[in-house]
Amino acid sequence: MAADVAVTKGSMMSNHSKLSITGALAAATCTLLGSGLPEPVQAQEESGWDFNSALLYYGEDGDRVQDLSLNVLARRTFLDDKFLSLGLTVDALTGASPNGALPQSNAQTFTRPSGEKTYTTPADELPLDDTFQDTRVAITASWQQPLGRLFQLSVGASASAEYDYTHAGLNAKLARDFNQRNTTVSAGVAVAHDTLDPVGRTPIGLAPMLGEEDLSNRIGDQTKDVLDVVFGVTQVFTKNLLMQFNYSYSDASGYLNDPYKILSIVDGVSGDAIPTNEFGNDGPSQLNVYESRPDERVKHSFFTQAKYYMGGKVLDVSYRYMTDDWEIDSHTVDLRYRWPISDKRYVEPHIRFYTQSEAEFYRASLIDGQALPEYASADYRLGNFDAITAGLKYGWKTGGGNDMSVRLEFYQQSGSIPSGQLIGNQLSRDNYPDLNAVILQYSYRFGR
Amino acid sequence: MGTISGCSSMGVEPWERDVLAKEEMQLTSDPVEAALDDHIYFSKEASSGGRGFGGGGCGCN
Repeated sequence: MAADVAVTKGSMMSNHSKLSITGALAAATCTLLGSGLPEPVQAQEESGWDFNSALLYYGEDGDRVQDLSLNVLARRTFLDDKFLSLGLTVDALTGASPNGALPQSNAQTFTRPSGEKTYTTPADELPLDDTFQDTRVAITASWQQPLGRLFQLSVGASASAEYDYTHAGLNAKLARDFNQRNTTVSAGVAVAHDTLDPVGRTPIGLAPMLGEEDLSNRIGDQTKDVLDVVFGVTQVFTKNLLMQFNYSYSDASGYLNDPYKILSIVDGVSGDAIPTNEFGNDGPSQLNVYESRPDERVKHSFFTQAKYYMGGKVLDVSYRYMTDDWEIDSHTVDLRYRWPISDKRYVEPHIRFYTQSEAEFYRASLIDGQALPEYASADYRLGNFDAITAGLKYGWKTGGGNDMSVRLEFYQQSGSIPSGQLIGNQLSRDNYPDLNAVILQYSYRFGR
Repeated sequence: MGTISGCSSMGVEPWERDVLAKEEMQLTSDPVEAALDDHIYFSKEASSGGRGFGGGGCGCN
């Protein structure tokens, strides 16, 4: 899991003049456009460090993925409106993830990704690969500074490492204020180079799952390159209303498969997986092949967000439309409402709606005896599903003036396989069970 | 007021920014939480980015 999104830029504010306050606001808003996740504007009276830390638990039901994540973002403010931000994330992951095969009316045995052992899924259950366990460490660094009176420049770098994956990225963004700093236009670019070194090496796309100790259909390390470009406009409309409009282009090329995902090979009439005795007790009990995705993906995203202040309460609404050349379209609506309940305490309900269509090469299974398609994946994340997140955050100021908060949220995914893809007995099985997860987070900001 | 023209009718004067300067009025008022959310949804859905760069950098299960 994870992302280089923790690259963070600060924004400037001095208490010397109103103009610099407006600059700070403009910088803060435009900072969002290219950097991923900027820090909020803070009135900085002197240079120094401040820290934003969080401990997050993410847990899926049914023994699926569990993640415990520690995050620290440190920011050094300099007197001349320059900022250095350093981020650290450590994730500890355990649990099981769907391997892509369909449930069957009898038990199924699969070879583990390492090729060293097998695991068995009981009848009528969704096959889960329970072998993954990983620790991920990610670091980010960024520098932001003004360029002249109206420009802001930020540059950053990110890197992460886990057992089977490494990432390195660079990013930069330039923003300019117009119209008494009520309008900010920005452009950003990010490049990343990632390397995959899967457990048991990389399976060849659409190659069959083999028995234990047979890695003959595996190849070596693979790489992925990603280019992201973001253009944005931030506009202040009134003293209580601010909006942002972004267009993002993303081009990923290279190895884009999930090396641990497979598809069932099924009978064209019954829809049942084809049994095999080829491997005895030392390999799969039915035919499966590893997934295969195109080696390029181009995404376009349109994002807009509004923040509206209503006598102490703040409404935060955003919408994103994403479309890509894998023919996935998605819509995301996010609503937050910050509601002060005293001078030092607030609650913030949050609700998020998400829906996506399936990739053109999404297949619930492949039919035995038919020619293999060029690309196929049964990864539920490329399927047709809706998701909803609902939760509440409670925040308060400590006696020392620092900020703490706790949030609890629930996430549910409900998917469906396109009806034309289900065959025979598949129609009576729950091939795409809901995913339910809980998100619990504690945050502490201090040092400013 | 000779500088007022066109789209400058949208927006505020510099001395009207007290509300906009509040921490809770920043577009991303909690950057770490936003990063964690991006991380989760990047891992579980086929979309990412929009607010900023698209993320990535993980072999997400």
